[in-house]
Amino acid sequence: MNLFFRRKTDLKEEIESHLKMATADRIARGESPAAARREAMREFGNLPLIAEITRERWGWLRLERLMQDLRFALRQLRRTPAFTTTVLLTLALGIGANAAIFTLVNAVLLKDLPVADPKTLVHLGNDGHDCCVGHNGTREEGAYSNFSTDTYQQLKKNLPEFEELAAMQAGWAYRPIIARRDGALAARSVMGEFVSGNYFRTFGLRPEAGRLLIDADDLPGAPPAAVMSYETWQHEFGGDAAVVGSTFRVNTKPVTVVGIAPRGFFGDRMAVAPPDFYLPIQTMASLANASYVNDPETNWLYMIGRVKPGVALGPLQQKVNATLQQAFATQSSFSTVNGKKFLPRVHATLSPGGEGIQTLQEGYGSHLHLLMWIAGLVLLIACANIANLLLVRGLGRRTEMSVRSALGAKRSRIVRQLLTESILLAGLGGLLGLAVAYGGARMLLVLAFPGAQNLPIEARPSFAVIGFAFALSVLTGILFGVAPAWISAQARPADALRSGARTTASATSLLQRTLVVLQAALSLVLLVGAGLFSQSLSKLENTDLKLDARNRYVVHINPQAAGYSGIQLGALYRTIEDRFHAVPGVVKVGISTYVPMEDDRWSNYIVVQNYAEAKGLAGFVKANADYFDSVGTKLVMGRGIDVRDTSTAPGVTVVNQAFVQEFLGGENPIGMRIGAPDSPGDFEIVGVVENTVYTDIHLKNDPMYFVPIMQRPASNKDPIEQDLSLYAGTMVLQTAHPINDMEKLTRQTLASINPNLTVVQFQTFGEQIAVQFTGQRLIARLTMLFGALALLLATIGLYGVTAYSVERRAPEIGIRMALGAERGGVVAMVMRGALIQTALGLAIGIPVALLCVRFVKTQLYEIASADARVMTGAIVALAVATCVAGIIPARRAASIDPARALRAD
Amino acid sequence: MATKNSYQNRIELVQGTLDMLILKTLQWGEQHGYGISQAIRATSGQALQVETGSLYPALHRLERQGWVKAEWKQSESNQRAKFYKITRLGKEQLASDYERWGKMVAIIEGIMTAERGAL
Repeated sequence: MNLFFRRKTDLKEEIESHLKMATADRIARGESPAAARREAMREFGNLPLIAEITRERWGWLRLERLMQDLRFALRQLRRTPAFTTTVLLTLALGIGANAAIFTLVNAVLLKDLPVADPKTLVHLGNDGHDCCVGHNGTREEGAYSNFSTDTYQQLKKNLPEFEELAAMQAGWAYRPIIARRDGALAARSVMGEFVSGNYFRTFGLRPEAGRLLIDADDLPGAPPAAVMSYETWQHEFGGDAAVVGSTFRVNTKPVTVVGIAPRGFFGDRMAVAPPDFYLPIQTMASLANASYVNDPETNWLYMIGRVKPGVALGPLQQKVNATLQQAFATQSSFSTVNGKKFLPRVHATLSPGGEGIQTLQEGYGSHLHLLMWIAGLVLLIACANIANLLLVRGLGRRTEMSVRSALGAKRSRIVRQLLTESILLAGLGGLLGLAVAYGGARMLLVLAFPGAQNLPIEARPSFAVIGFAFALSVLTGILFGVAPAWISAQARPADALRSGARTTASATSLLQRTLVVLQAALSLVLLVGAGLFSQSLSKLENTDLKLDARNRYVVHINPQAAGYSGIQLGALYRTIEDRFHAVPGVVKVGISTYVPMEDDRWSNYIVVQNYAEAKGLAGFVKANADYFDSVGTKLVMGRGIDVRDTSTAPGVTVVNQAFVQEFLGGENPIGMRIGAPDSPGDFEIVGVVENTVYTDIHLKNDPMYFVPIMQRPASNKDPIEQDLSLYAGTMVLQTAHPINDMEKLTRQTLASINPNLTVVQFQTFGEQIAVQFTGQRLIARLTMLFGALALLLATIGLYGVTAYSVERRAPEIGIRMALGAERGGVVAMVMRGALIQTALGLAIGIPVALLCVRFVKTQLYEIASADARVMTGAIVALAVATCVAGIIPARRAASIDPARALRAD
Repeated sequence: MATKNSYQNRIELVQGTLDMLILKTLQWGEQHGYGISQAIRATSGQALQVETGSLYPALHRLERQGWVKAEWKQSESNQRAKFYKITRLGKEQLASDYERWGKMVAIIEGIMTAERGAL
């Protein structure tokens, strides 16, 4: 710019000096000064126009040339639509897939919470799955991320290094609350997170409206206050200003909404359904009937703190560990002789807190990384393809380049022209890729988080992603534009013109073949991956879960949030059973704490009476009489739970076969008694059921015991109000035939019992099971998609190279045929060339694929290596693709007319 | 020559030869724009009048191509002026321009003097 202005004044001065000299000459010749000046001006001509034309010599030349190059490039691309389309599609898919995955990775794994200065936030612990409510016991490795209220308070008091130290409920996602605006009829099951009073201050947030929580809200006896999320405020209440200060019924109890959280804030961790309400920890005991809130030995809180400036993390880590050990020392698990040994190992690894609690990230991280690798491989294949296509095209245009060079075009101009072409292509491809990325990321989100609302992950590619995509595409363009451009420019025009098509560019052809071999190898790896993940998914889906999902509906309910106290529950369950049995078509009405294939569970440490070795963790489910039938669990021995097993009847239990195997070595368990270590005789085993899978398919042979829902261990002397195991979480309705409006019927029936008894979630049993396989299905589908893409790209690449070589060898093939070669022989010759490249690709790809299985083994279900079926499938797919890619050029080769081929040059 | 109100055309018309003439003039020594136009006029016996509308764009193009170099100096009449000086590249260009010019003249001459039927 400066240069431009300098030239402008420079030119003005130059013209002025010209005029002065001309005027001086005229004066010397005797003209009057005024006339001389006038005449000199007249002679000079249109001054501004001349100045402008002169300036143009400098300014626009480069831009003009670029425009010329671009126009020419566009014309060239239009002239070869097949080439252009192939390259653009390849780039769009390659870059698009990468950008889509990167968008997701960026959003899920790399994004900071939308809070002030996320860099100075520290998470005490490094495990987002150390959840949710549990007794603080000893641990072999001593790592803790989940703490009790008391521990939190001690840490907060003793660690002045933290400007603020906040605590937040670990398992809120499993404990929805029921909220109803005062005066409104419908109650809704929503997400509520209990947090410390300094929660919002720690994150440095400002309210959207009203105020955020303060320390005074989190004192025992403080009037219950809540902060609503911005999204809930907007979506459910249309941003109604009157919400602030209004009373809501949270689990039937009045709570004042004091303010709205800032827009975009989705809590302290990424979640499929972020919290709708933030409530103070101290209100939890009364609102959620959670007695454990003030139990110093029950862990249920995560901690995130903001460190003061200048605090070194090393010494802080030491101090955190020491303070934790101090806090744990007085607890029951750590005061025994044995427990004391574990105390020195107790620690909470400090980890960056700016990205929040990594629960979701830990769950999806391995999948996303795998997808990134796969997308990277596809991009590699795409690049190889484009390199090949550009090479072929560059070589095909050698004669053109020679002519241009002979006509006086400079080598640098030719190279620049070709580069412009490839960068233009890459740029266009990048743009298309962005479109693919946008659509792809949306699709990925839907596949990864089906049915998620208010998901704090955006499909819109960020600037980082756009930059990434463009850098990638331009790099590809430059990289693979330079080689052919260079080769073309190297050609001595005279040689190229003279020898025409008969030159053999052996180095280039070797490069091309190498690229094709590489593509074949990579495709095989991806195909094997696709095969493995599909196999894994089909194994998962065909696993015998020992249940029956036909005509079954799973209804999650929350009687506790609806305001029922422990002593009212027996009557409630009887009412539910009666009302639903009265609904036409309903066969069984199961009521239980948990259902099969649900991602939450309750485990207890159990012993068998008079059986010293029989002890360990067992899954614990409370259920009513209809329950086993309603989920399709079959009885193998004794009896199931029945209507006689009331709260006053003798304590009984039904165990699964895995329990019998693991605890009793297969011995007949009927009549034995089990219970907690301090009261082993609580429940008598009356029956054995099959190993229906609960929680997770990987735990399909986990020991479990089932207890009638209203029965409590005789040894449990705690008030009934504190026994959370009495609260059912689910109903399972079995019907005689599919009922379309079952959801509506269910809601109506429940509402007729109590309007606060809302449906937390309604799904068919099949849907609930399918959700468990979402991740696997996502991976299987995407690996399939990418495998197919890779195969397609490799086929195109192989076709391009074979077609090009046939074209180049046309005269040679002509001579062969003139000398008597059979058509079949020619076809075989061409096909052989293609097959050899594929075979080489296989030779490289097979060992690589076998090696790669190791890295994904943990993500596969019951598959340790690529079996013959997967391998054969991948190889056959590649072989078929090779034949398809080879047969078209081969037939063209066979149809060469010897006479014409020989005459061509 | 071209019409008076279209400088653009005039550049185009004389471009090849104008470059050559300017470079030739500069071979005698460095000169400013006014001096170049005066010199061409004088050496052509007043026959060639280089329009400023062609001269300055040409000079700046030559400068841009590196065939001439420019420098501000005092003229003999003590006037500050921008002096152009031919470069090594410019000399080469002049030689090749002149050679091409010679060939062109010869070819045109051949055509103009060809006997009918010699084809």
